[in-house]
Amino acid sequence: MPEPALRELQALFWRRLNGMTEPALEAAIVSTPSLGAADRLDIYARMYFWRLRDALAEDFEKTAAALGEDGFADAVRAYLTDHPSGNPSVRHLGSHFADFLAACPPAAAPPWLAELARLEWARVEVFDAPDAVPIRADDMRAIPAADWPGLRLRPTAALEVVESAWPLHTIWRDGGDPPLAPTALRVWREAGAVYHCAMDPLEREALAGLRSGASFGDICDALAHLEPDAAAAEAGSILARWLADGLIVGINQGPDRGADGEP
Amino acid sequence: MRAEARQDHQLTRERARAIAGPRGRRVAGAPASLVPNWFSVFPDCPHIGHGIGLRPKYYPAVLEGRRADWFEVISENFMIRGGRPLAVLERVRADTPVVLHGVSLSIGSTDPLELTYLDDLARLIARIEPAWVSDHLCWGSHGRRYAHDLLPLPYTEEAIDHVAGRVREVQDRLGRRILLENVSSYLTYRHSTMPEWAFVAAVAEQADCGILLDVNNVFVSATNHGFRAEDYLAGLPGHRVGQIHLAGHSDHGTYLLDSHDAPVRSEVWDLYRQTVRRFGALPTLVEWDDRLPPIDDVLAEAARARAAEAEVVAEAARESPHARARSA
Repeated sequence: MPEPALRELQALFWRRLNGMTEPALEAAIVSTPSLGAADRLDIYARMYFWRLRDALAEDFEKTAAALGEDGFADAVRAYLTDHPSGNPSVRHLGSHFADFLAACPPAAAPPWLAELARLEWARVEVFDAPDAVPIRADDMRAIPAADWPGLRLRPTAALEVVESAWPLHTIWRDGGDPPLAPTALRVWREAGAVYHCAMDPLEREALAGLRSGASFGDICDALAHLEPDAAAAEAGSILARWLADGLIVGINQGPDRGADGEP
Repeated sequence: MRAEARQDHQLTRERARAIAGPRGRRVAGAPASLVPNWFSVFPDCPHIGHGIGLRPKYYPAVLEGRRADWFEVISENFMIRGGRPLAVLERVRADTPVVLHGVSLSIGSTDPLELTYLDDLARLIARIEPAWVSDHLCWGSHGRRYAHDLLPLPYTEEAIDHVAGRVREVQDRLGRRILLENVSSYLTYRHSTMPEWAFVAAVAEQADCGILLDVNNVFVSATNHGFRAEDYLAGLPGHRVGQIHLAGHSDHGTYLLDSHDAPVRSEVWDLYRQTVRRFGALPTLVEWDDRLPPIDDVLAEAARARAAEAEVVAEAARESPHARARSA
């Protein structure tokens, strides 16, 4: 048999890692009495799968637990066939996993599985999102009250919102089989640690405004629509929570004035 | 912080050279004049001591000030936008040398070089100012898909030319030489035309790069393929070897697996002593990546490497006629 050129050898090897039988590759490998060529290739094929399964199990710990060892392994095998890693860093391997689970739900998977995976992936994204120095309550208090309606507050990049028909925060914590309950979670990072919490409808509305670049006045107006009597007080208490959690990293007071939390 | 870190690093280099010449830091207990005299070594790697891998489990301990002589980190784990890992690494780097060790350069792949990856690596290098940069002599990607594994190359002239050309391109782009590590392997290609050590040596010479000699991988592959580890050491050019790796492996009956989940085995310690006898004292790193023990256990392995190296250097000093003349 002629020797395979390097490019062809790697193509055969790649297919073998992904579960295909490649007689031409086996013929290119030395067998010994204790270990045949196929056994030797199996060592690599197993390591390929185990390493990537372990990487996904780390990022999707709760999803993996919900599926059980075999169910998770089957899901990962199917996922890798559709979505082999396309990035030199294994950190990105799970970027399509939640969508994949939604499109191809594993047998006997709980109905919230893909959405739980979406929450876990949001936590991964937040974990290494860009750094910024948070604005604190004292910085805000220094701004005259008359200027507040025009303020545009800039949220940290380490902030994601996950919306679901299920109470994902209780599923994430306790698993189980809770009833449907539409839920909006915010996921954020503070001092290097990742957190998430459920938002009430007012905070959800306010955060949507914040992330779309609305002014503080516009956010208050939107809350007034939901809660006419207490909008101002609610807006104040929501803002206090955001500041305490380090979600605000910049204040734009107009075209020529501003404070910024970039390090 | 950046300027201070750079200054500190430069100081380490200057001090090292002043004490022990281009070879690196003086080994405790050995006359400085004897340390550098086995062979010339790869000059890009001053002897910064005996380090350990910086893994997330150890972040709390290092933030409290626990230190090895130096830390090695997996480059890809820090090619990120922000967050705790980078903050910890910068804190460590402020007072301790760091080496960037990549796993996805895929230098032996027949895909085009991933330029975005190299630019990300260059940015990380500029940010961390590592003592040096290394990756593996293997391939790990095909059709722009990544195996995240260290797959073996055939030992052929074709592969030497291919890899050496790519290493030169990488080194030009990064503006520095890199080290490539010998990987452990579990198969041999029929069409290989030379032993692994001749392949490693030829790539390093043709590419003008350094060798990161993983002593555990030599032992694992020697067992798996039935060659003598001593022949491997004898076949490598000393002036290319810049760093040593030590790690634990596991015995799977018909083969040894480079598992990095256990203490260094006694046979590998013996081979490490032979390596120091052959190449002299070199910066050495204990790798431990799975089933991680407390950081102090890994630091104890690094201390064991330091002691083993000092023993070999002291023996060599005793055996040297120059040393006897000085003591007479």
